[in-house]
Amino acid sequence: MIRTGARIAGQFLQPRSVATAAQRAVPHVEVRVGRLPQSQSPFVPKLQFFNSVTATGQQIPTYRVMDGSGSALDGSSMPEIDEATARKIYEHMVLLPTMDTVLYNVQRQGKISFYMTAYGEEATVVGAAAALEPHDEVLGQYRESGVLLWRGFGLDNIMGQCLGNVEDTSTKGRQMPVHFASREHHFYSISSPLATQIPQAAGVGFALRRTPGRQNSIAVCFMGEGAASEGDFHAGLQMASTLPCPTMFIVRNNGFAISTPSTEQYHGDGIASRGPGYGIDTIRVDGNDVLAVLSAVKEARKRCLEQSRAVLVEAMTYRVGHHSTSDDSFAYRARSEVEDRKKIDNPISRMRRFMEERGWWSAKEEEELKARLKADVMKAFKRAEGLSRPSLTELFDDVYAGQEPWTIKEQRSELFGLLKKYGQAWDPWKKELGKFKNGGQDLIDAGK
Amino acid sequence: MNVYQAVRDAMSVALTKDDTAVVFGEDVAFGGVFRCTMGLAEEFGRERVFNTPLTEQGIAGFGIGMAAMGHTAIAEIQFADYIFPAFDQIVNEAAKLRYRSGGQYDCGRLTIRTPSMSVGHGGLYHSQSPEGFFMGAAGLKIVIPRSPIQAKGLLLGSVRDPNPVVFMEPKILYRSAVEHVPIDDYELPLGVAEVLHQGTDLTLLSWGTPLYHCETALHMLQHPPPELAPHVPQRLRGAKIELIDLRTILPWDVQTVVDSVNKTGRLVIVHEAGATGGVSSDIGAEVQKRCFLKLEAPVRRVTGWDTPVPLQYEKFHIPDALRILDTIVDTLSY
Repeated sequence: MIRTGARIAGQFLQPRSVATAAQRAVPHVEVRVGRLPQSQSPFVPKLQFFNSVTATGQQIPTYRVMDGSGSALDGSSMPEIDEATARKIYEHMVLLPTMDTVLYNVQRQGKISFYMTAYGEEATVVGAAAALEPHDEVLGQYRESGVLLWRGFGLDNIMGQCLGNVEDTSTKGRQMPVHFASREHHFYSISSPLATQIPQAAGVGFALRRTPGRQNSIAVCFMGEGAASEGDFHAGLQMASTLPCPTMFIVRNNGFAISTPSTEQYHGDGIASRGPGYGIDTIRVDGNDVLAVLSAVKEARKRCLEQSRAVLVEAMTYRVGHHSTSDDSFAYRARSEVEDRKKIDNPISRMRRFMEERGWWSAKEEEELKARLKADVMKAFKRAEGLSRPSLTELFDDVYAGQEPWTIKEQRSELFGLLKKYGQAWDPWKKELGKFKNGGQDLIDAGK
Repeated sequence: MNVYQAVRDAMSVALTKDDTAVVFGEDVAFGGVFRCTMGLAEEFGRERVFNTPLTEQGIAGFGIGMAAMGHTAIAEIQFADYIFPAFDQIVNEAAKLRYRSGGQYDCGRLTIRTPSMSVGHGGLYHSQSPEGFFMGAAGLKIVIPRSPIQAKGLLLGSVRDPNPVVFMEPKILYRSAVEHVPIDDYELPLGVAEVLHQGTDLTLLSWGTPLYHCETALHMLQHPPPELAPHVPQRLRGAKIELIDLRTILPWDVQTVVDSVNKTGRLVIVHEAGATGGVSSDIGAEVQKRCFLKLEAPVRRVTGWDTPVPLQYEKFHIPDALRILDTIVDTLSY
């Protein structure tokens, strides 16, 4: 882009001093012997191309603390964890797929319109949630319901949103299922456009830094490796690093963006390799090792707050489920590959074995937990299923704050008038009206 | 004060009265490429007035995030021509955040300022008037001032409006329009058009730069120069034209426009953007729906052509005074 603003205004600018941070950091004498104003890079006489972020040309390593069977690795930096915390983490790791299974199945039965499971990513989402403070502002993509569960959002609110009923405080029945929002739980409104939350998270971090009483909170932004290809990824990391903003970016690298394997998403060393390019402290972690995620995110949070600057965590995991209920993933990957992954590297069984080794868990408790959680989820679903949709007037509310524009006011009246005229005569409307609060009667009355 | 000074003054008031307010964008820290942020960084500090990396989608997204946390975010997009990388953030995110979250989150404290309209030699990418592209973004407000007093009052109104606002500043007026501007804090209402001259024979509606071409056209109608006199019939020279500045493009003030057209029976709309998909399409449709029995001539539009804004051809592209005069004469003689 050519910017000729100054010239257009007829105001020729004085050449600006372009002393960069790098230049300021370099002693004057070194500048004279040869350094560039925008870099601290030394000159070399040999022709040499560079294509790695590590000194040895290897890939960025993946941090893990327990092996595939839940045993601590030799010399691993284990997070300090007591039995109560371990049990809470494990319970939520089991609750997430229990809830997913029920909601996936009711979608198949046509009782909700859409759903997305987090199968295989339980350790990444729950481990991160456990490492954060409850007042950290979370901006998610859509596969992070586990954070809300961890924060006590409750199954009734989950069901309310997915069914779009009168208890849907997240969206008042306006957004598709799994698009949660809760101010109370510091969980920002999910939207479908990918990666838009990334630069927003930079702004949230910057605002927190400037909010009295919130200087101990950070912004946490989740995304998948596919979303990291969007321009907003570049924008968001660049801004959070440069301005700077206490914002943690957590990438769930689960190998697929719908059908596109990560090999077709990028040619570099995953997402983590990009972090240093932005000057961001970065770690790659085994996303199926909940204790490694816990430990990495805790440390990342500490750095984020101390430096008031972005940090990047890439959690390597595998999307065991289909992308969504509108997707059959066996059209582009072998069923056996998925089954193998579930067996070889299951984040939930790894954590269970870790706990069993310490005598913190037993087969009996496992049975009881599964039965209890399933009953809880079914109870919440059955209850939610019986509730009506919100008032039909909500269709027009909240577009604007303050005085309602004439457009909305007139269009609301137009629909009211049509409902009064045709509400009981036009079958597609008649059936729908019955699902709303008071059968839509408040609108029909208002149209009189 | 001229327009850039009035804009700067408005931001200074906003920063003084509201500790959460910040101003950011490309090159705003040294004063901005149009001088609109001159001295603000020195006065309020680099924590509140700062440069961002060169990324429009980043600027818009960052502002949404700040506003969602209750901070006042005044963002600058260097030219309206470069607002399109932020289109997704503005239309899908800023406009819809309140609605989609059931009113839990909003970015009403976000204002995006951007210089717009042609400037004599801006070519394709320093001349655009993209207001029409945002007409479908319910949840958003679009405001365009015509003068320094208007710029300050409408900008403060936009900054304090509880909805996200895109504020387009006609850049050719930055230094050319000068008037006495109150130095105290005042706001002008959004969503309200202003009748600049009362009239009974024709309603002339515009916003931003072309309002000045409208003024010239009205003068030429009364007192045509000798070369044009043969084209301006004597009987039309005393016509009383009602000139309206729309000021807010979204949501626009339908009542003022309809009241005027019901009185005059004739409407001419003038804007720099191309006709197809332009704001005048919406206005024309609403006016013919509401004023059908009162209309004595077709609603006419004087706009830029449906081409990009071409460098060497600008004088033939913009809706200048002659084209406005010609359309007024046509409409009055219909």
